Amino acid sequence: MTSRSEPAASPKSCCAAVYGSDLVALLLGEAYHPGDSSLTRRLAARTALTSGERVLDVASGRGASALLLASEYGCTVTGVDLAGPNVAAATREARSVGLADRVRFRQGDAERLSVDSHSVDVVVCECAFCTFPDKPTAAAELARVLVPGGRLGMADVIAVPDRLPPELTGLGAWIACVADARPLDEYVALLAGAGLTTIHTERHDAAVTTMIDQIEARLTVLRLTAADQAAALGLDFSLAPAVLAAARAAVADGVLGYAILTARKSGSGLR
Amino acid sequence: MKRDRDEVFVEYTKSICPVCKIVVDAQVNLRDDKVYLRKRCPEHGQFEALVYGDAQMYLDSARFNKPGTIPLTFQTEVRDGCPADCGLCPEHKQHACLGIIEVNTGCNLDCPICFADSGHQPDGYAISLAQCERMLDVFVASEGEAEVVMFSGGEPTIHRQILDFVDAAQARPIRAVNLNTNGIRLASDRAFVAALGERNRPGRAVNIYLQFDGFDERTHREIRGRDLRKIKQRALDNCAEVGLTVTLVAAVERGLNEHELGAIISHGLAHPAVRSVSFQPVTHSGRHTPFDPLTRLTNSDIIHLVARQRPDWFRAEDFFPVPCCFPTCRSITYLLTSGTPGAEDFAVVPIPRLLDVADHLDYVANRVVPDPAIREALEKLWSASAFMGTDTTSARLAQAAAALDCADACGVNLPEAVADLTDRAFMIVIQDFQDPYTLNVRQLMKCCVEEITPDGRLIPFCAYNSVGYREQVREQMSGVPVADVVPNALALRAMITDSPYGSKVAQRSDDAAARRRVAPDATNVGRRIR
Repeated sequence: MTSRSEPAASPKSCCAAVYGSDLVALLLGEAYHPGDSSLTRRLAARTALTSGERVLDVASGRGASALLLASEYGCTVTGVDLAGPNVAAATREARSVGLADRVRFRQGDAERLSVDSHSVDVVVCECAFCTFPDKPTAAAELARVLVPGGRLGMADVIAVPDRLPPELTGLGAWIACVADARPLDEYVALLAGAGLTTIHTERHDAAVTTMIDQIEARLTVLRLTAADQAAALGLDFSLAPAVLAAARAAVADGVLGYAILTARKSGSGLR
Repeated sequence: MKRDRDEVFVEYTKSICPVCKIVVDAQVNLRDDKVYLRKRCPEHGQFEALVYGDAQMYLDSARFNKPGTIPLTFQTEVRDGCPADCGLCPEHKQHACLGIIEVNTGCNLDCPICFADSGHQPDGYAISLAQCERMLDVFVASEGEAEVVMFSGGEPTIHRQILDFVDAAQARPIRAVNLNTNGIRLASDRAFVAALGERNRPGRAVNIYLQFDGFDERTHREIRGRDLRKIKQRALDNCAEVGLTVTLVAAVERGLNEHELGAIISHGLAHPAVRSVSFQPVTHSGRHTPFDPLTRLTNSDIIHLVARQRPDWFRAEDFFPVPCCFPTCRSITYLLTSGTPGAEDFAVVPIPRLLDVADHLDYVANRVVPDPAIREALEKLWSASAFMGTDTTSARLAQAAAALDCADACGVNLPEAVADLTDRAFMIVIQDFQDPYTLNVRQLMKCCVEEITPDGRLIPFCAYNSVGYREQVREQMSGVPVADVVPNALALRAMITDSPYGSKVAQRSDDAAARRRVAPDATNVGRRIR
């Protein structure tokens, strides 16, 4: 993938499309990003989320994190996602668990957030920044919506792009999101450029290994039960072992990983 | 210059002195990433034992703790406090997921390791059919509809009326019967195996809980005193022939057979009768080989050993604590399997990689229950009453499979496909029973595995083995005095002597001294149960 030579919107919408695709749903299940709800809680704790705060969840997917933050931390959450079906599913879920009064979802683009400036206490962005093609603009948008002193909690794929093993390009769906991931210090620099000062970072590379295990488990079940149908969707089972091994090796080598990061917008906040 | 302690103090609780069995205060500390329980007896000094080999896992397990269920009846009253009032007393936090009936003390083996201190002994006891029926009735009165009763011993298959006992259990609202056996009779008496097979029927399963410690001759000789390898294989084959479902149950002792865990799982996966494996660190109650309480095996040690021995199949994260009892007592995982180990098409998939078990069994942090029906299914699977071969466990496995998301994706109905695979689902249970060294009343109060006694009590298994109840019941039933058994710990050598059954007991001077030191009732400190 050489996304940078393509039109700016392409990898992002491609990523949203694969996230919405059946094959990816089949392989990833609800594990749309590394780390389970405990990593979301960890991120919430690191951003010192408190009751009553206004939270914007950028790339909110099917709403699991937004609902968790609202129910466990007492926040008011707005979720923005590029994929319409995700927004619809998340809205249904908010209603069914009785949180529709405090959690809303709407379709939107992280690089042009339809959210007022200085209107949000905390921005949460899980496993999405790596997919934004124009990262400086996206970072500026995250900064713009935050109140002075507001915080950003980000969880994302960490990659050293030119060292990623070639086998990983075989998993097209996945690579769409990995291809534009950056080393951790590059994220820090990008955020700094937008006026967001990184306070804390921590690596959670094991979350990627767990995700690889989950993908492998689903691949195995598919091979055992519905090999023909999966192959018809373009899944090549013979490639899987090499791809998974390459991904595991990349994690072990530190070329591929996952991290959480908290940052603060300059200026004194309300609190 | 002040110094910091080398440990983090995390719990204050109660335990017993392993020598004189008086109730003493105890503390739990984290040190070197491990968890230790420490206590002091005024007469016998300080004792410390390893209770969990991985401090992080111990702390993480706290959230897998569900509210207990109140049994329909209690058999005793609260008088002196835990663990002297068993049981169950009204302060007990959980009903009985599993009831155990020990039908005899006699056995056709004299294993060097036996928590029940059984063997070829002239002065034991065997229960009558009337006694068995009364015990079953007590269990049913407490449970209403009971999941599982386990017949144990001694060796239950040498009791002449064991089939009558099975019939008595099946005549009551008890969904499944487990027979806990060394397999000797199963290997040689095919008519008996056939009789068990006939009784194994829908809604009234009979399953075999087969002692199976490994494959090295040394393992057999050191743990069982005999090379039983051929007998075990014949027992397994005979069970397969009549369709009996078997759990391989391994007593695991450090330095003896902890290297054989992966091989035991592999053997189980390859044998048509076997649907689960249970690993139990040797319980240092009753009779056992000398050991060091500070280096004993714990649940997390077993989990890490399994992951290390079969990294192609397992990671430590595939195992989850069981929330019905105290979460540090038992951990379980389930596998979907296909084919035979070694064959090219063989596949293993741990179910927790397909389903977010943690999210559903987290009772502390998680206030939005993702799906109550899935939680209920997983609760029954991650439970002390879960046994492969029972209708409840099969149904819950299918229900959990149906909970896989993306049901409509790609025209592939993954849940339905996985439900078909549950026919060959495989269960791995890791259970560290407490002994007089490790006993923590915090865990005891929520125990859901109970010994049903002939006098109509339900006594938490680890209290029965550690506090003195086993000795009490044997004495009552046999009419022969039985001294309290003391662990054969290296550090206690100077204080212990041989019992008639191969276990260790306190030297008399210690015993007498302890009896004089009984504390006043009100404090619940220093009082013996007998």
